[in-house]
Amino acid sequence: MTRILALVWPELRAPEAVPAPFARMLDALDDLSPRVEAVDLGVALVDVTGLEPLWGVERRIAARAVMLARAVAPLTVRCGIGDNRWLATLAARLARFERPDAPAAFRTLTREELRDLPLTLLPADAATRQRFTLFGLTRMGPLANLPRSAVGAQFGAAGERLQALARGHDPRPLVPRRRPERVARGATFETPLEGIGSVSLTLRRLAAELCDRLRVRHLAPGHAILVLTLEDAPPLRVEQPFPQPALEPDWIARLLLSRLEAAARVRRPAVRPQLSCTNQDGLSEGPRPAGLDSRLSNLRKSTTEEPNEPRIASVHLAFDRLSDPATRQLPAFEARAGRWEELRWSLERIRHRFGEGRLWRATVERPTAGLSEHRSRLVELNQ
Amino acid sequence: MAGASIAKPIGVFPKENICSIIGRPMTQTDAALATALETLRTRGLGLRRGSEAPSLDRSRPSVPTGHSSLDAALGTGGWPRGSLAFLDGPAGSGATTLALGSLRATQEAGGLAAWIDLDGTLDPAVAARLGVSLEWLLLARPHDAAEAVELAAWLGRSGLIDALVLDFGERDAPDRRALDRFGSLLARSGATSALVLAPKGRAVVGSVAGVRVSLRRSAWLAVGRDLVGQRVHATVDRHRWALAGASAQLDLWFGEGRRIDPLVASLARPLEERPSLRVVSA
Repeated sequence: MTRILALVWPELRAPEAVPAPFARMLDALDDLSPRVEAVDLGVALVDVTGLEPLWGVERRIAARAVMLARAVAPLTVRCGIGDNRWLATLAARLARFERPDAPAAFRTLTREELRDLPLTLLPADAATRQRFTLFGLTRMGPLANLPRSAVGAQFGAAGERLQALARGHDPRPLVPRRRPERVARGATFETPLEGIGSVSLTLRRLAAELCDRLRVRHLAPGHAILVLTLEDAPPLRVEQPFPQPALEPDWIARLLLSRLEAAARVRRPAVRPQLSCTNQDGLSEGPRPAGLDSRLSNLRKSTTEEPNEPRIASVHLAFDRLSDPATRQLPAFEARAGRWEELRWSLERIRHRFGEGRLWRATVERPTAGLSEHRSRLVELNQ
Repeated sequence: MAGASIAKPIGVFPKENICSIIGRPMTQTDAALATALETLRTRGLGLRRGSEAPSLDRSRPSVPTGHSSLDAALGTGGWPRGSLAFLDGPAGSGATTLALGSLRATQEAGGLAAWIDLDGTLDPAVAARLGVSLEWLLLARPHDAAEAVELAAWLGRSGLIDALVLDFGERDAPDRRALDRFGSLLARSGATSALVLAPKGRAVVGSVAGVRVSLRRSAWLAVGRDLVGQRVHATVDRHRWALAGASAQLDLWFGEGRRIDPLVASLARPLEERPSLRVVSA
């Protein structure tokens, strides 16, 4: 028999709620059960079937779930357990806090307990509720006792679904969420590398290793996160979505390298040494000694002309947004489509190199317009 | 002998000979380097030593010009891949129309095309009317001539663009060194044929390009009182990979490319002087 735990966070259901902690709460609940479904913001379902030998009775399982979630964010939560998602969710809705400052409320609900509950708890529209009242139906029990054919004749398929809920039946299964997966590899250099370009071979090797790992699972990455640990500067972190999921380490390494170079170009002025006359506390020491200004200006000039290349101590590459490799299927339909998808990798690198506003695609809007700018429209690529 | 050995790819050297080239005993680092080079070679990355001049890749068909007579005159069946072709002609001589026709023929053969439009003068509607499929046309708009050449080099290096038009418009062409680098990169890539339109850069582009075709209008084409096209005399002035000197006669129809109605084409009569007729065109 399936047992489902429903968790409802009232604070997250508010219109102005901040959704940020919800995803981390779901990640925390993964420690309780591998089957966790996010129904909506602030509502989660956890399959707790067969967990009693591991964690104890259901109330203790619910308490553990509350503890895991409150470790992320200390929000109050209503917990309900039932045989299906309808009973569990309704139980959580009906749970009452034992005292005003209690962090959680807990309740279980069985099919038999449904009979005395009001029909207003069913997810029906106002017109259907009014018709239920006209028929003298105010509790779930009388609706559940009616023949299904009679309910179907009066209320249609929607009425039959409501009657099934009133009987405590809900055929909808729990659909566990797919946890975002990430694969990562790193490399540390005993002798730090000089310059961004020197990591290209390492980058390709790391990408090839990660691609090999994903290829056997028939998955391909759609996004990469690359972190370079620099010796004399804060780490350089770049994120790069791919034009499409692909298992091509050469394309990935080249694209990441161009992205890195673009990021390093932007950052280079920031990593130059600060040429100010300060003491150990970082405060200005007042008038500079004679001759210091000229020496500082010479130093500033030299650093402006020849910025120092960063020394790279380690590289860390991670792939996420895993999905089916799309590019391998495209050539089956049209070879040119596959080549165009491959070209998009080069175009992305060109965008990093030259900036926005260079690459376009044209469409004809009004072929008979007098002015050429009215006849066609340009759409920038990568948008 | 030395030149011949330099022209060899790195990977053909056995591991033990690496140190003989460097001139010192083999160390652990050398062995690791040799292994890495061997790995790169086996993965087909095409490492080469020195400045080996690559030859024309004849394994892939040339890029069609869109005119069978010009294909025959070129001797290579079209614009050779990995080459820089210069369409030399005054304004109105049909160079843009010929380039668009080449892109159309390339796309009909299943290729990808790009147009680098420095002045922003390309009208996509005209290109579409000449048969160019805008869906498979990449339009690039660089900021200056040097950037145009660099962008073209990036596109050529991808090896995925079959035909590329570098239209400098009324701007001056970049310096010769940049075009030289672009030409050698195209030759190494061996996949892209670049057509250059540079009315103001004849001297520079003409000396760098591997193929130079001069265009000269020989007659107007008229049907009754309507001017429907022009007859252009194309001469292959220079060809690095075939015999130069051949010429072809091209009929370029205004606004319709080669999709002109056969009846109209048969009725068109050449006129030496431009008459005071109305132009039927885009």
